[in-house]
Parts: sequence; structure tokens; C-alpha cells
Amino acid sequence: MGKGKSRPDGTLVQGTLDMLILKTLSRGPMHGYAISQSIQQISDEVLRVEEGSLYPALHRLELDGVIDSEWGQSENNRRAKYYRLTPEGRKRLSREASDWRRLAEAIARVMETA
Amino acid sequence: MNRFRKKLRALWRRRQLDRDLQDELRFHLEMAAKESTGSDVGRRFGNVTSIGERCRELWTFANVETWWQDVRYAARTFGRNPGFTAVAVVALALGIGADTAMFTIANGAISWDMGLEQADRVVIVSATDAARAQSFGSSYPDFRDLRAHVKSLAGLAAYQFVPVNVSDHSGLPERYYCVRMSSNGNRVARQKPLLGRDFTSADEKPGAAPVVLLGHHVWQQRYGGDPAMVGRTIRVDEVPTEVVGVMPPGRRFPEDTDLWTPLIPTSAIARRDNRSLMVYGRLADGVKLSAAHLELDTLMRQLASQYPETNRGLTAEVLPIVMITGVYAMRPLFAVLFGAVGFVLLIACADVANMLLARAAGRAREISIRVAIGAGKARIIRQLLIESTLLSLAGGVLGWLVAIGGLRWFDAGTGTLVKPPWLHLKLDATAFGYLAAISIATGVLFGMAPALRLAKVDIHGSLKDGEYGTAGGRRSLRLAGSLVAFEMALCVMLLAGAGLMIRSTANLYAAPIGVNTANVLTMRINLPETKYPREEDLVRFHETLAGRLDALPGVETSAVVSNLPLGRWIEFPYQMEGAAPAEDRLPRLGAIVATADYFRVGQVRARRGRLFTDAETTAETPLTVVNETFAVKMWPGEDPLGKRLRVVRDGIPQPWLTVVGVVPDILQDFRHPLEHSPLIYLPYAEAPQRVAYLVARTGVPPSTLAQVFRTEVQQVDEGLPVYEVRSLENRIAENRLTTSLFSAICTVFAAVALVLAAIGLYSVTAHSVSQRMQEFGIRLAMGGTSGDILRLVFRQSLRPLVYGLMIGLPLAFGVTRLLRAVLAGVSPGDPVTFLAAGAVLTLAGLAGCAIPARRALQVDPVVVLRCE
Repeated sequence: MGKGKSRPDGTLVQGTLDMLILKTLSRGPMHGYAISQSIQQISDEVLRVEEGSLYPALHRLELDGVIDSEWGQSENNRRAKYYRLTPEGRKRLSREASDWRRLAEAIARVMETA
Repeated sequence: MNRFRKKLRALWRRRQLDRDLQDELRFHLEMAAKESTGSDVGRRFGNVTSIGERCRELWTFANVETWWQDVRYAARTFGRNPGFTAVAVVALALGIGADTAMFTIANGAISWDMGLEQADRVVIVSATDAARAQSFGSSYPDFRDLRAHVKSLAGLAAYQFVPVNVSDHSGLPERYYCVRMSSNGNRVARQKPLLGRDFTSADEKPGAAPVVLLGHHVWQQRYGGDPAMVGRTIRVDEVPTEVVGVMPPGRRFPEDTDLWTPLIPTSAIARRDNRSLMVYGRLADGVKLSAAHLELDTLMRQLASQYPETNRGLTAEVLPIVMITGVYAMRPLFAVLFGAVGFVLLIACADVANMLLARAAGRAREISIRVAIGAGKARIIRQLLIESTLLSLAGGVLGWLVAIGGLRWFDAGTGTLVKPPWLHLKLDATAFGYLAAISIATGVLFGMAPALRLAKVDIHGSLKDGEYGTAGGRRSLRLAGSLVAFEMALCVMLLAGAGLMIRSTANLYAAPIGVNTANVLTMRINLPETKYPREEDLVRFHETLAGRLDALPGVETSAVVSNLPLGRWIEFPYQMEGAAPAEDRLPRLGAIVATADYFRVGQVRARRGRLFTDAETTAETPLTVVNETFAVKMWPGEDPLGKRLRVVRDGIPQPWLTVVGVVPDILQDFRHPLEHSPLIYLPYAEAPQRVAYLVARTGVPPSTLAQVFRTEVQQVDEGLPVYEVRSLENRIAENRLTTSLFSAICTVFAAVALVLAAIGLYSVTAHSVSQRMQEFGIRLAMGGTSGDILRLVFRQSLRPLVYGLMIGLPLAFGVTRLLRAVLAGVSPGDPVTFLAAGAVLTLAGLAGCAIPARRALQVDPVVVLRCE
């Protein structure tokens, strides 16, 4: 099950995908397709979210209680499942974001000095 | 937690969950299709099922569900094989059910529980004469001295257990068991009255006002739970006695006590050689049993040197109180039965393991395929263990019914006779836990061998070979052979034990009792000292009563006797005329105290000389009659008639008795039906007994006279209860009951074991025959005869039988030793019984081999060879 031509840097480590989903949802309730599109657009098509990783991740996060879901109407009047961040999700997002920032800065320093 | 709740909710709405998942993914695909080129969507469409599957897995109890799958798969395999399943489940049900029933009985019997606080710290102190290996009770002066000095015990109490008669206006006179104890008795036992007060030291002073504590059941049953009971006066052995308290429900300690009274040291009790007291104490904090024993031993030795004429050679014995209870003596027996039933269960396990092994041969292919498509070894073992546990759980469910039936049968068999009041046989939570535990344990136990064997299966071999896969093969046959040998060894031990029990029972029933037991009515009577203080009073009472009873229509003759047939005897120290005076204590003889008419009631005639008559017994020179064993043992080769001896009662030598006759032996000890003890018959007037049996030969069925006898007794003394009214035949049946019951249990166990062992041999033979069909066909085709084939089959199948016998018979010698307590007239290592056990097992084994052997003979070389 490959992505075929997709670039190697487009694959996401699981923990990172979780964080991106949480971050995306912090802007408001969204359905799965919108989440994947949003990540893709904001990253300038660098990050591609496969549905094969997206949906299991969404369901796992829902079971963990960091996101919640609700069925609603989509923009084209279709039944769609909307996900939204729970207070617990917000806490996890801020924790993961700061962890990520520290890690990224550390990696950047190492890469620049080398 | 939260996650678990969500999953549970999802479990309820499984359909909804599936629909939602589908909707969600379809929505995604449609959105994607709108915004990109069609080909891309089509390529991805294949993933949807797999994505859905992965999401669904998150929402379900995946682990549990694969287990559930395995269980359903196992159930289906058994469903396809109903014959095999039925045999295996029934074998296991018999094993597990019998084991649970026996566990309940043994558990009830060994968990002696009288509600005593820290019962393991309570000890019984008795005096022993090590040189003679005899044990005695304690005397009051010894008890007083020990109590004054002992430091390792936190308290020491003495008691006597006596029957008393209670009479008052609350109903008919009744006989109760009374514990007369030192006033600290309840405090040492750490029990307190529910109502009223405990005894105080003032209550045990000579001349103190008589007081009594009532058992809760007496208070309820006789006095209807009268709230004003404390302070009322009742008559105990005709003495007006004040009720000072009522004990809590269920309290009977130290025996099956109905009433408690203070032990007042009367002149008889105060003698140092009157060893009629039981003494119990509580170990002081932190003191070990051995330390207490050492101290009491030292104290007893001091007493022995201080009072040599009464205490010479006496030392102390200190035992945990549980060891002196009646059932304690039965413990080895229960251990044997428990062991026996364990053997049955093991045999059942071995059987089922064997059947599974045989089945495994046919499953090698199935297992290989599972391994080939990716099942791990652990998964295969798990699957097989689930199968065996499922079998054993089914066996357990059916076994619960077997246990219920078994306990009913035991209950009906024993009635209330041999069961002490604290023994409760209930299939309670403990029993259920036990059943569940052994069900699972047996499942794992008998499933392990086939599971490990199958998990080692060689995939390539068995996929290529087809039916004759390597899971069967020689190694698995050898394993099956050892299992059967093991079954045979266990079975021959059970058979030997059962054989011994059967022979004991036969001996017991065949042994002549020596009296005509038909149409004899017996009852017990207890003449209290308070109303009949002198021995003449006892004699006069019985004379009066006998006159009235003999005059009743339907009564031929009545008599009084101290011990009924099979009821043992009483012992007296004695002296033989002309014998050298004894150095320390006198030897003892066994005696039956009886009025002259006892021989007429039992229809016993003198073998030599004559019987005594009641008129002669008051003469200056009293007479006696001895049994044949006594005559032969005491005066070998001499004429016993005219010999003289005398007994010593309470330290006082009695007048010389002249032997006037010899009577045939009457069986007094039912444990040893083939031997008799030397006994003499003492006229009642020579040694009147307070507690004795009334016996009467009747011309009508004895039970019809029971009420008439009661009435007659109460017309002579209206405060006197009559108890244990029964025909002599009933009493003898009761005496035999223990042995016949245990022999019945052993026989049932052995029979089940025999059937299971035969099935075991059958299944291993059938297995090997089915594997060797090809070989047999070739042999026949090459000119082998059916005799050759038979020899092959039997040689292989009988090997486990022979090994089993070789191991089992020597072990049986050791095991049957434990049965000694209940064996009657047969020794534990009786060779005839052992030979018979071996022969029975061999026959059953041959029968088990015969069916598959026949199939081996019917092999058609053409068919078998073409099959290949």
C-alpha cells in the first residue's frame, strides 16, 4: 500500500500526524476530508495525509478522548462526521507543540553548526 | 476507563458503528473524486475495506474477540465429533464430580470448627504411661497441682462429660449431655454466655448452690426461648438447679454439650487415682506446643516422684485439641478416599489426554495449514488448550450434578449416625471454587501433552504425507503408552484398596455375633447419683423394673447389660488367685456386667459348666462366667471351672469370684470380627452400672413395644428418660455402617477407575491399530498369519498394562496400609486381594484391547494397499 509517487518527506510519523490533526482542529470543527486538505494546503503540498493513516488516527484520538465527533451537514448538504477538540485535546496539543518546538530548535541548531 | 465505556457502547451498537464508518469513508472518497481526476480515486478505492477494518479494530475488544473465535472454533470441532466429545465429557464429569463430592466431605470432616477462638492454641493435656503405651485422663489433684505451677499455659481447665436427666414442668424428662467443668472453663475457651453470667469460683466450692448454663438449642427447644429463663430452677438429675445463663447459638464446646455445670470435687473425684477428667488449656502468648509439653512433662515427673503409688511412670501428653476429636481418627481414612478420588480424576485426565493425542494424529494436516498461513506456535498451543479446557469445563458442569448426586447418596447412607453435629456437607462457594479450579487445572493438564506434541508438528512432512502425518508417529504412541501405564498403576492401587474394603465388609457381615439378634429390643438408661446414691439402689431399681417388664404381654424376658454385642466392654484391674502380686499397677481385664437373664435374652447357652442365676449373685461367694477365649488364654490346658479371680473397683478389691461356666464368644469388637477378646461376665449386683442397657427378648416386633417400655420406666421413676430405643438388629447395622459405607465408596471409585482404564487401553490400542493398518496389510499380503497380527497388537498394547502392574502393585502395598483403621479381618497387604486386583485389571485390559484387535484381523490387504 504505497503512495506511489509521493515524496519520501511527505510521509508522517504517527506522533506527528496526531499533533497536526489536533492543531488543525484547534481552528474549529472539521470533517476528515477537510482535515487532510487543510494540512496539505497549509504545508504547500509537502505533507500528504493518506486516508489509510488519517482515519485510524482520528478514531484512536476519539477513543483517547482528546477529540469528539458529531454528525452534521457538510457545505454541500451531505451527512458528514465533524471532529472537534476537547479540553483535554487542547492540553495535549499545547504540550506536544512545545515539545515539538524544543525538538525542532535543537535539531536546527545541530544542523546549522555542523 | 472512559475508553472502556466507549468500547462497551460500541459493542451494543455494532451495526451503527459499521454504517457510520462506511458513511464517513464514502464521504471522503466522494469529496476526493470531485476535486481530483477519476483514476486516482479508483486506485485508492481498494483501501477502504482495510481502513474500515483497522478503524473497527480500534473500537472492539480485539483480544477478547479472537479468544471468543477460538472458543467457537473449538466448540465446532467438538460438535463434529459428538461420540468422542460425549465420552471425554462423561469421563471428566465422573472424575471432577466425585472429586468435588469427596472434597466437600473431607473438608467438612477435617475442618473441625466449634467456633473456638484461636482453636489451634487450645491443647488437651493427658497423662500417659510410656512403658505401656497407654493414655489416661487426669485426676482432680493432678489437675490442681498442674494448674498451680504451669506457666506455659494461659489457663488450664478440667471437665467431665456425663449424661444427665433433666426433668421439670416444661415437658417429658429428657437426657442431655452435660459438661461438668472447672469454673474457668469458659474463660479458657474464650466463650461467654449470651444471657446471664459465667461460673465463678464460688460455684465450684463443695456445698455451693447448684447452677447450670443452658445450651442455646436447649433453651430454644425445651424452654421455647423463654426470656425469663435466667433465674429459673430446673431439675438436673433430680437436683433443683438454678439456671444462671444461656450460651450463644452453636456453642457446644468442649464436646457436643447441652448443659454446663461447675465441677465440684466430691470425695470420689478428689482421689488421685481417679483419672476421669479431661484437661484443656490455652498456650500462653508466644509459647510453642513443644515448650508447653516440656514444662508439663517436668511437672508430671515431679508428681510421679511425689506420689509414686498413683503416678509412677506417668508423663504428660499435650496435643492440639483438634487431634482428639472423633473425626480426627478418621482423617487418614478421608485422606485415603480423597487420594482415591484424585486417582480417579487423574485416570480420567490421562484418558482424555490419550483421546486427544489419538485425535491429534488426524489433525496434523489442519494444524500444518494453520501454521503455514501464519499462526504462531503460541497461538496453536492456545487454541489446543482452549479446546481441552472447554472439554473439562463441560465436564465440570456435568460434574456439579455428579457431586450433588454423590453427596445425596452419602447423606442417605450415613443418616445422622456417624455425622457429628458440626459436620455440614454443603456444596458451597468453597466447593464451587474447588470444582472450577480442578476443572481448569485438569483441562490444562491433559491438554498440555497433545498441545506441545502438535505444536512441534513438521509442516512440510505432514502437508506432503497427507493423512499419515508425523504428529502421530512413534513418539506420540510412546507418550500414550506411558499415560496408559500410569493409569494402570493408579487403577491397580484403587482395585487393591477396594478389594480389601470389600473383604472387610464381607468378613464383618459373615462373622457370627454369638447371640440371636432377632426380636431383641434395646434401650439406654442412666440412673443419676443424686437419686440413686448407693449401689443397692441401682440393683433394686432394676429388680423392680425387670419384674414389671417381664410381666408385659409380648415380652419373653428382660435383662440389664453394660455393653451390647459389638459394643465393646468395660475394663477393671484384676487379680488372679494364686498369681504373684503385681509390682505396680494391676493388669486389666475386659468385663461385661449383666443380670443373669442376659444370656436368656441372647439365647446363649453355657459351653461348659453352667450360667449364674440372679439369686446366687448376692451370695457370700459370687459367681462368674467367662468366654471361651478367656478360658483358653488364661488357663491353657486347664479346667477353668472352679478357678477364682477378683476385680478391683475404685482401688478396693472385691470378693473373689468363682468361675462356674464357659460361654461361647460373643462378638464385642466390630473392628476385629475374626478375633475375640478374653472377657468375663460379672453379675450386675457385683458391679452395678449407672449407665446401662435394658434388653428384652420379645414375641412381637421389638419396635412396637418401645412406647410401652418408656411408660413402664417412667412409672417406676417419672423423672427418668429412656433413650436410644432401638432393636438390636438396627444397632448392629449401624455399627457395621462405617465399614460398609467406606467399602461402597471405594468400590464405586474402583469401578469407575477400571472402566476408565479399560477405555484408556482401548483408545491407545485403537490408535496404534489404525496407524498400522497399512503395515498389517503388507504383513498379511507377504504371508503373515492372523496369529502374527494378534501377537503384534497385544504385545504392544499389553506392555503398558504390565508396566502399570509392576509399578502399581508395590505402591499399593504402601497405600493400603493407610486403610488399616477400617480393615476388618484382613491385613493391608493381603496377597489374595492383590492377586485378584491384578487379575481384574488384566481382564479389563484384555477386553479393552480385544475390539481394536478384531479390527486389525479384519484388515483386507487389497483395500489397504490400494489406499496408498
